[in-house]
Amino acid sequence: MSDDAHNNDSHHNLMVNNKKLLMWLFLGSDCMFFGTMISTHLIYRKLYPESFDPTSLFSLELTSFSTFILLMSSFLMALAVSAMHKSDIKSFRRNTLGVIFFGLIFLGCQVFEFTEFVHEGLTLNSGTFGSTFFMLTGTHGVHVAIGVFWLTCMYFYSYTGKMDPHESAIDVEVAGLYWHFVDIVWIIIFTVIYLIEFIK
Amino acid sequence: MSETLSTSHADHSGEEQKYHAFINLALVLAAITGIELVLVYLPINGTFIFATLVSLSLFKFFSVIAWFMHLLYDKLILTLAFGTGLSIASGTVVALMFIMDRGFVDFEAISAF
Amino acid sequence: MSSTLTKPTTPATHDHALKPEKSNLGLMRPDHSKNVIIDWLTTVDHKKIGIMYGAMALFFLLVGGLEALIIRAQLIVPENDLVSAERYNQLFTMHGTTMIFLAIMPLNAAFFNFLVPLQIGARDVAFPRINSFSLWAFVAGALVLNFSWLMQAFGELGWFTASGPTAGMKDFVPAMGWFGYAPITERQFTGVGTDFWIMGLQILGIASLSASMNFIATIINMRAPGMKMMRLPVFTWMTLVVSLLIVFAFPAITIALGQLMFDRVFDTSFFQVAQGGQPILWQHLFWIFGHPEVYILVLPAMGIVSEVLPTFSKKPLFGYSIVVFSGAVIGFLGFAVWSHHMFTTGLGKVATAAFSLLTMAIAVPTGVKIFNWIGTLWGGRVRFDAPMIFSVGFIWMFMMGGFSGIMHSAAPADAQQQDSYFVIAHFHYVAIGGILLASISGIYFWLPKILGKMWAGKLSTWVAILSTIGLNVTFFPMHFLGLIGMPRRTHTYLSGFGWEGYNMICSIGAFILGFSVLLFVVDIILLMTKGKPAGNDPWNARTLEWATTSPPRSYNFARTPIIPARDALWEHKHGAENRKITFVDEGSHGIHMPSQSWMPFIASFGFVPLGLGLCLMQAGVAYMGYVTIGGLAIIALGVTLWAIEGPGGFHLHPKEDEI
Repeated sequence: MSDDAHNNDSHHNLMVNNKKLLMWLFLGSDCMFFGTMISTHLIYRKLYPESFDPTSLFSLELTSFSTFILLMSSFLMALAVSAMHKSDIKSFRRNTLGVIFFGLIFLGCQVFEFTEFVHEGLTLNSGTFGSTFFMLTGTHGVHVAIGVFWLTCMYFYSYTGKMDPHESAIDVEVAGLYWHFVDIVWIIIFTVIYLIEFIK
Repeated sequence: MSETLSTSHADHSGEEQKYHAFINLALVLAAITGIELVLVYLPINGTFIFATLVSLSLFKFFSVIAWFMHLLYDKLILTLAFGTGLSIASGTVVALMFIMDRGFVDFEAISAF
Repeated sequence: MSSTLTKPTTPATHDHALKPEKSNLGLMRPDHSKNVIIDWLTTVDHKKIGIMYGAMALFFLLVGGLEALIIRAQLIVPENDLVSAERYNQLFTMHGTTMIFLAIMPLNAAFFNFLVPLQIGARDVAFPRINSFSLWAFVAGALVLNFSWLMQAFGELGWFTASGPTAGMKDFVPAMGWFGYAPITERQFTGVGTDFWIMGLQILGIASLSASMNFIATIINMRAPGMKMMRLPVFTWMTLVVSLLIVFAFPAITIALGQLMFDRVFDTSFFQVAQGGQPILWQHLFWIFGHPEVYILVLPAMGIVSEVLPTFSKKPLFGYSIVVFSGAVIGFLGFAVWSHHMFTTGLGKVATAAFSLLTMAIAVPTGVKIFNWIGTLWGGRVRFDAPMIFSVGFIWMFMMGGFSGIMHSAAPADAQQQDSYFVIAHFHYVAIGGILLASISGIYFWLPKILGKMWAGKLSTWVAILSTIGLNVTFFPMHFLGLIGMPRRTHTYLSGFGWEGYNMICSIGAFILGFSVLLFVVDIILLMTKGKPAGNDPWNARTLEWATTSPPRSYNFARTPIIPARDALWEHKHGAENRKITFVDEGSHGIHMPSQSWMPFIASFGFVPLGLGLCLMQAGVAYMGYVTIGGLAIIALGVTLWAIEGPGGFHLHPKEDEI
């Protein structure tokens, strides 16, 4: 059964919540998902380093800023989960709103950045670099957007009165895991797509 | 919910400890991002910068997993579930990087990169 | 409860007194419905879901088989013109795709679904609604993939012509092989058939992924007290390994298919040569998925055999720990050998040698298992009932497939064998001789438990004889056919190469094999119409599922069993006093059952417009982009409502004397 009461009866099993185990499995799977895309990007950069020089296009300042925003959103998410465990719904709401806000800023920076690139001539159709860049960062952006949607639903749900802190702590934790993962994938993407290009 | 079921005082102080760990980690991560940003512009050997960047990124990656995502505080099975995926993904990425080589590319057939 | 299938031996104690309740959404949950269709569409019962998977799998087994018979009919004589070259390409593509994704994988899913909760002493899987979602997503994927045949018919009749991105292309059914090598899959070379293939596989991938995560959580977390990991039936262990393989292998093909889709829809450069794309990358990504996939297909079969052999030898499985460990090693090593499908692509000496050695290494744990199975038979009191005949057949026939596999692992030898009929011989021996025989064994073994009726007559002997003869007559000559040079995937051949005799024999064998499958279907129908009640434990078996009624009640076990040992039921029946199964005293609050739900069905329904919309858009039909987005919206809506409605649940109170 999927409710916690039954899980607490199973004292012989590994005492890990079903939902949490499911989310970690999904994240393990997602590692392979992003790993394959990162792999494709790195392969094409290895094969054709001369095909495109993104250093003139990339604004390291902007991307570092958005990376920092996402990192801080992860911090707020950890606080939100912590708040829920302490049954502090008000603090949970504040922190969750912060995560959503920072997530939206990150998405805004991505949209701004992509629009700039398209104006400068880097599109999905700009050879292998354009293909891998936009697919990888685009897929990541979609993951962030889904996370923002999820957290927004959770935020509004917390006002309905149906959110019992004890029962919902696990749901918040699971959403938190997803959000943190989206953050750490970005850390890898930032290094592998942006930072690497600037090394002489 | 098993490990956070009890709302005893012991658990609350555990949450307090975690709270402080989160704040400390956030500050460290912010500092690291700053270091990375400065590092790329420094006129030091490229391989050294690359190695440092990768190390810093790995540190950020694993520390978020360990603390924000709680893996340090949770049961081993979760680390195994995630770790297996991570290992297989890393192994595949590395293997592919070694296999794919510029020597196999037929540059004649390519009209535009 | 549906009344046609489950006829419990004692009168129902629960059903009609219960009324459905409202969910958190304020809508009525579809529990306790008297309408059979609603009951089956909204069910979250793993047993019913398993039956639906099984029925669909058997249907597609016949579809794939028909495609194969047409192929063999075309090849029976040189320069035959039964089907055109284009149609032939479509047939072998759909034969492979259907057999792998629409027949074997759901058949395995059927066994997983029905058996795993029973074998671990649980009431259902960890996430019943996700289970339902997986099933209906599978149905959606099967629909999308086979819709292509309908479009092809329309095309042939002149009712539809492709325009827009694939204008001028007449292949509406996938025709590029089940592995879809780039660059032929690009928009310039193939029509919407490729798009149907991409979308069908993506949807099927989501179905498999969600089911696997569910099973891993179930096996790890929902075991009955005392059911330690090393007391699990081997079949459940194999389910765990296979689920982990699916979780880590499918993302590779998801990305590969996504990249291909982007190439076709948005003109990106992932595999398009003129723009710098490397088609070899497709091969890598596909086989990084594809090789673990074949272990996903075969390990459940090995699990089935590991249950049947001990039961019919009246002996425990020889070397249980080693068999489990070998299964895990095979799964793990399966990720490291993918390029053995690419030995002739010019990988370079180091890579070729590495993959060659790793492939040889996989033979070791496989061989270990074979010895352990033989060790199980040795000294046992063997009964040659139907399941046993097929499992013994598995050992021998799978081994033959293994021998040709080892021949492939030597890269120099493979250079001759690659893309020839030798490969076809190899994988059909492991697929039919291995997977199909084991699956038939499993059906003979467990169908009495699933439907509550026993097999009628001795048709199984004929199925066994004819399928073995058919398999060998069809595929053994193909070893030689390959070595004397006949290439794969050619719709006809000229006379004078010495291939005519072999081909005729192969085609005759194929019809014998087809006939044996027909007899098998007849045998199943005989069971359903003439079968006598099976009783709980008709085979005197060893594992927990045989402790329940046939078919099991909706809640599986009235009281949770406490497991003292491996082969728990055998120990209970024939073992010492302290090894009997006891039961948890759960007091009087009854059994908690999960509520049924429309949401998984609604969410997975969205896959149909998503898949078809994209394909029709590629075919030039207007407004299909909106249909695709609409499909996405339906999925999102379904999932959101699913999250909000809550799991619900109700309580049942079985009688004291029930199991």
